[in-house]
Amino acid sequence: SDGTVNRQKTYMWGNVNIPAFVEALTKNGFVDIKVEDTGEGCTIVDLPNDDTLIQVEPDNTHIICNGEETVRIKIRDALLKCLKKI
Amino acid sequence: LVMKGTKLQLVDPGLALKDLGLEEHNLRFTSTVMLEEEGQTTQTADRIYQLVKTNLKEFPVSYSSDGSISISDSVLVQVSGDEESKSVLVSWSHQVIKSICKISSDGSISISDSVL
Repeated sequence: SDGTVNRQKTYMWGNVNIPAFVEALTKNGFVDIKVEDTGEGCTIVDLPNDDTLIQVEPDNTHIICNGEETVRIKIRDALLKCLKKI
Repeated sequence: LVMKGTKLQLVDPGLALKDLGLEEHNLRFTSTVMLEEEGQTTQTADRIYQLVKTNLKEFPVSYSSDGSISISDSVLVQVSGDEESKSVLVSWSHQVIKSICKISSDGSISISDSVL
């Protein structure tokens, strides 16, 4: 809101460890977490209470969330704990 | 800062990852916003395009013939629906939201909220 553009980029790599991600989600206040392994290293994490589906794949995570911005921030923070960064 | 043999080199982080054989992990968010707006979907898409273009002058914005709007090659906006209401799909990568949230006039941290 100060009119400046932040071009600093954080690089992330590695794969999301699902048990660690579920634990991080729980710590961030999510209570209803359903995990489904869809094969080939892909997992769907469903948060039905928060209208959210998270597709975790090797090198890609897609968060489909129609909920509030605060929900997305909590999910993002949980994911960032599970990835390596520079 | 990367050490190659006995030399220290300053390299782009993206290149450093590639050199190390590491693949970047992409985070993408998708959210669909419902709009109670009468008229054709192209009219809604046009309105959003004009808003985005006016508010995000720092970023390249393109409007393709199928009615989808792309911002910086990372944000995608697609409008669908009928005469009565529209659903607006907004998809963005983690890094882009960080950049765009800084320039939204109302301090909102999501492009969907700031644009619509």
